[in-house]
Amino acid sequence: MAKQRLDPEKLLPLTSSVFHILLALSDGDLHGYGIMQEVAEHTDGQIRLGPGTLYGAIKRLLGSGLIVEADERPDPEMDDERRRYYRLTEFGKQVLKAEVQRISKLVSVAQRKKLTPKKT
Amino acid sequence: MLLAYPREFRLEYGPEMTQVFRDCYRDTRRGLVTSLGFWLRIVCDLIRTAPLERWEALGKDHETMKNLKANIVGLLACLVVIVVAFLLLGYGRKHEVASILLFGHALDAIVTAGVISNLIIFPLVMATRLSPFRTAVWSLLIVNGALLLLATLIGSRVDPQFSFARLLIGYFVSFILWLTIHWIWSQTKSSAEPIA
Repeated sequence: MAKQRLDPEKLLPLTSSVFHILLALSDGDLHGYGIMQEVAEHTDGQIRLGPGTLYGAIKRLLGSGLIVEADERPDPEMDDERRRYYRLTEFGKQVLKAEVQRISKLVSVAQRKKLTPKKT
Repeated sequence: MLLAYPREFRLEYGPEMTQVFRDCYRDTRRGLVTSLGFWLRIVCDLIRTAPLERWEALGKDHETMKNLKANIVGLLACLVVIVVAFLLLGYGRKHEVASILLFGHALDAIVTAGVISNLIIFPLVMATRLSPFRTAVWSLLIVNGALLLLATLIGSRVDPQFSFARLLIGYFVSFILWLTIHWIWSQTKSSAEPIA
């Protein structure tokens, strides 16, 4: 687990798909299609991950220790056994928080420059 | 469509990708425009991600090939050193060439320690993920040390002109030479790990 000793900042900035996948997993374990639905939901359908993008990102996230395959299934009786569930690791959470912080800083700069949309 | 992805990726994620595709297709509203949009998204995703995965798989193959090449070159270099040292020693003894025999102990040590330690180092490094240089350091230390001890025990009993200092220098030269060769070999081997 040498990779987990990495500085989260070194993995930033995250790609859009990776950021949305991590964000989707921050609420709990999800399977591939669950991640897709969650991403589509919290972006109001603006981002729809394709199977290739999703599993390519999952492969890299597993490789870098940001997510792991979950041992337990949230609802085994209701679910297809072939589905694999993914879980955000502590390191994954740190990376996600670091990315959110980075974006927040950018947003505050944009706010100072009066570039953010006015609240109605 | 899955065939566009590399075999390893297909084996690992193929069934899940098929399942996700089925789920997406099931949830897509029926109608020509919606169906076209769905297929367009799938094809665009395939065009964007399949070459990327292929490229990554190719990169891994290159690493393997690079390491294999380094192993073969390292092994050949060791064989050449052993054969040259052996031939020099044989020629020097046969023709009593003093300049060669001056290095008799070193040549002896290079051949014996080279054969034994390389028979340990190469299979060990190739079969495991042990560090090539560390493995070489420890193997060479143990082998050279053990041979020095053995040569001292035998030499002091059978050779009236036995000199421990010359023997020690011989094994020291052998240790340094083999260590240098293995250091060069370890530098040519790739130790890069996949990064996310």
